[in-house]
Amino acid sequence: MTSPFAGLERYAPYALSIVRIVVAASFFEFGLEKYFDFPGPAHVDMTPIYYVQGIIEIVGGFLLLIGAFTRVVAFILSGDMAVAYFMIYFPRSFFPGQNGGLSAMLYCFIFLYMVFAGGGAWSVDRSILKQE
Amino acid sequence: MTSFFEGWEKWSPQILSIVRIMAALCFLQHGLQKYIGFPSATPPGDILHYVQGAIEVAGGILLALGLWTRPVAFIMAGDMAVAYFTQHMPRSFFPALNGGDAAILYCFIFFYIVFVGGGAWSLDRKVLRQE
Repeated sequence: MTSPFAGLERYAPYALSIVRIVVAASFFEFGLEKYFDFPGPAHVDMTPIYYVQGIIEIVGGFLLLIGAFTRVVAFILSGDMAVAYFMIYFPRSFFPGQNGGLSAMLYCFIFLYMVFAGGGAWSVDRSILKQE
Repeated sequence: MTSFFEGWEKWSPQILSIVRIMAALCFLQHGLQKYIGFPSATPPGDILHYVQGAIEVAGGILLALGLWTRPVAFIMAGDMAVAYFTQHMPRSFFPALNGGDAAILYCFIFFYIVFVGGGAWSLDRKVLRQE
C-alpha cells in the first residue's frame, strides 16, 4: 500500500517548512486583525488581554513565518494557544466542533510539533543563524 | 537560544503521533455530527454533505488508529483542499474572514503526515510492520 509514498520521507523537511509558513501566515493574520483591522475587523471585543494576544500573534507569527528561533517561538505559541483554548473555548463545551476552539487546538498541536521537529529545510535558523 | 531544546528532536515521532491522533479525532467529530448527530446534529444537506461525512468518519478512524496512514492522509489532505477552495475561498481570500482556518490547518497537517507517516505509535508500525 505505501509503495507510492516510499521515498517521500526525504522531502519531509521541505514539507515541514511549507506547513510552518502557511500556518504562521494564517496565525499572523489574527494579530493584524486586532491591531490594524486588516484583513477584517477583530473577531473579539478588544479588552487589554487581546492586545497582548495580538502582540503574540504578530511577533510570534512573523518569527515563525521566517523561521527565526523556531523552537522557542513555537513553544511560546503552543502554550499560548493551549491557554486560549482552556480559557476561552473549553468552558463553552467539551467538544472542539462545538466550542469554536477547533483552530486553536490545531494551532496548538502544530506548534507543539515544531518545538520538537524545528522549522524544516527552509528557515532563517538554518540558512542565516546556522543552527538547527 | 535553542540549546534548551537540544535532544528534543528524538521525541518528534511520539509528538507526531499525538498530533495525528488529536487532529484525526477532531476530524472524525465532523463526520459523526453529520451521521449520528453527536456531539450535536448538523442540518441535513445534499449528497455531497454525506459523502464528506463518510470521508470524515472513515478517514478520521483510520488516521486515529494510524492504519494506512499515508494513503489516508493523502486523500484527506486533498479533501480538505477541495473543501477550502469550494466552500471557503469564494467567501473571502483571507482565512480569518472566510471561516476556512481549520480546513487549512487540517489540510497542512495531513499533507505533512503524507511525507512523514504516522509517527511512533500507529497500527502501521505495530501491526502491519510497515512505515
